[in-house]
Amino acid sequence: MLDAFLAGAHQVFAFDTLIYMLIGSVAGIVAAAIPGFTVTMAIILTLPLTFAMGPLQGVSVMLSVYVGGYTGGLISAALLGIPGTPSSVATTFDAYPMARKGEPGRALSLGIWSSFFGTVISTIVLIVAAPPLALIAVKLGPWEYFALIVFALTIVASLVGNSLLRGLIAGVIGLGLATVGPDPMMGRPRLTFDADMLMAGLPFLVVLIGIFAISQLMGEVEDHGKGKGTDALIPDVIEFKTWAVMREVLMHPVNLVRSSLVGVFIGALPGAGGSIANLLAYDQAKRSSKNPEEFGKGTPDGVIASEAGNSATAGGGLIPMIALGIPGSAVDAILMAALMVHGISVGPRLIMDNADLAYGMFVAMAVASLMMLVVCVLSMRLFLRVTDIPKQFIVPTVMICCVIGAFALNNRVTDLYLLGAIGLVGYGLKSLDYPLAPLVLGVILGPIAETNLRRALMSDGDWTVFFTRPISAVLLAAAVLSVIFSVRSVLKMRKKDRPATDEQDGD
Amino acid sequence: MMSPNGKSAAADASASAAMRAKTELARLISYVVFGLGSVYLSVRAGQLPTSRWEPLGAGSFPKLVFAVLAVLCLIAAVRAVVDIRKGGKLDGLGSAFCQWIKVRRVSFAIFGLLVVYLLALPVVGFSLATFVFLMIAQLLIAGISKKTIIQSLIAALIFSVGLNMLFAEVFNVFLPRGVLFAG
Repeated sequence: MLDAFLAGAHQVFAFDTLIYMLIGSVAGIVAAAIPGFTVTMAIILTLPLTFAMGPLQGVSVMLSVYVGGYTGGLISAALLGIPGTPSSVATTFDAYPMARKGEPGRALSLGIWSSFFGTVISTIVLIVAAPPLALIAVKLGPWEYFALIVFALTIVASLVGNSLLRGLIAGVIGLGLATVGPDPMMGRPRLTFDADMLMAGLPFLVVLIGIFAISQLMGEVEDHGKGKGTDALIPDVIEFKTWAVMREVLMHPVNLVRSSLVGVFIGALPGAGGSIANLLAYDQAKRSSKNPEEFGKGTPDGVIASEAGNSATAGGGLIPMIALGIPGSAVDAILMAALMVHGISVGPRLIMDNADLAYGMFVAMAVASLMMLVVCVLSMRLFLRVTDIPKQFIVPTVMICCVIGAFALNNRVTDLYLLGAIGLVGYGLKSLDYPLAPLVLGVILGPIAETNLRRALMSDGDWTVFFTRPISAVLLAAAVLSVIFSVRSVLKMRKKDRPATDEQDGD
Repeated sequence: MMSPNGKSAAADASASAAMRAKTELARLISYVVFGLGSVYLSVRAGQLPTSRWEPLGAGSFPKLVFAVLAVLCLIAAVRAVVDIRKGGKLDGLGSAFCQWIKVRRVSFAIFGLLVVYLLALPVVGFSLATFVFLMIAQLLIAGISKKTIIQSLIAALIFSVGLNMLFAEVFNVFLPRGVLFAG
């Protein structure tokens, strides 16, 4: 084992590999900072560039894009309130209010350090506990997956926004949007109304950009009529204390470790990645906090939970891929494809046949997280320049980046028309105070939910199996409980408000 | 006898309740639209042929999803009606709507411009369409002055021609060249 570890480390620490990894890290951060450019897209663009490299060098570069990308999403989440990737949705809940309150530097530093520690913790778990964790993950059947998605959606609906009901409606609209196009099992076209642009379905990236970015950008110029049009998005003087914030992150060890472990576990579940992990980690942090009312208003705990959670999925996702050859996410599938291009079969024998490669990947993960940290710490001031730029430049330019992001996904002009339509719908929903995160999550999770529901009923037509399998039953019970708790807290708040309202009525 | 402060508080509370009622009315309209749409889509999904190989066919999941959406919208609509009745007065709807539009006039103008840009993109190509879009959008937000025109011109040039070159040369993403310029 030690020989393989050292052989892997020797390859990763080669000068040219380190240079390529550095470039990959910067590219990942920059790509994910642009709303609409996901980590997946950045890795897809990197894949052809790695064909000329050796297998470990190629995978190391892609891992550095991966790790950098998970952090880059926080930049636009914190500074613009637009999640750069779906995995930084929960980061907007507290990092954006913190930045709006005049602490954008602190918000970014918190996110970067949390991402670093999250990745390091996940790498340690990956090395130490990969086999048993992967065994737990693969024991879950379609019943458990479906229950997990129901649980994730109810949590999201109850977590964000001011109304559970509108959150649930938004989530179910997302599930509904995901049903447009070919069905995920047989490919039969559904609800396309014979329109060419709907035949391939609604690409989730286009929905993500339209719902979050276009509506957010339209909202940014709303108050122009009141004379604030040319103000910078975050006008205050920026001050971040990198080392003080590092200590601040380390002062929340329970939150950091818990969120990272949530990320590792979710990452290890095939199909469930950073987009669920950041929200679950945030939810756990909120529920165990002594001051849950501070969440959503710019509390450091929220930023730490979300960023540690999403970054830890990078290590977690590699567990089933390395141990069993099952990719945990789209990104892991691309990494797997990259290895297969080099003639390496990914599966249970990977660690036995190519131990240096497997352990080299562990080393590359650790190096990539360190590189991300160094790049972010050294260039944070550069990223914060975004805050000095007036809205007149940011809004139209980011809109153009969104258009490019939507177009580059499939090179389809019709996707741009969908982008416009979805953007308008998103703006309308935002104006009516519908939370947007459940909708996007619904679109991403819809096909996974449908596939698992249909698979479950194909193997056993009895619906009660969902309640008799223990893990599935626990997850469904947790979903019901999360709704009950949310309704209870709303009723409590209404009771609190009632005396004041009654007095007003009395007047 | 009510004090002036008390009168002002009561007026504020009444105005706030009326505002809440108007917002709830707007939401009620959205619940009705989504509800009716989901009923229609649920029926459409139900018409898809069933599968011989599995208990759930292609239409079952969308049918289930849109049925759940319809139920949720119905519950939300009933609650909205109750809230509107509690909130009381709904007069001045026209002026409230005009005010709503007025606050968002730049947002809608930018969106209109985006629609024109997206339609023009395949015809005139990325660089030219983006240049014009950026120029107009920036001046719309910042207002027209000598300084803003120069700034917008420079930014529009960089982000139209520059972005096109960056994506073509570095990322191998080729943005639309436009029918007019396609060789």
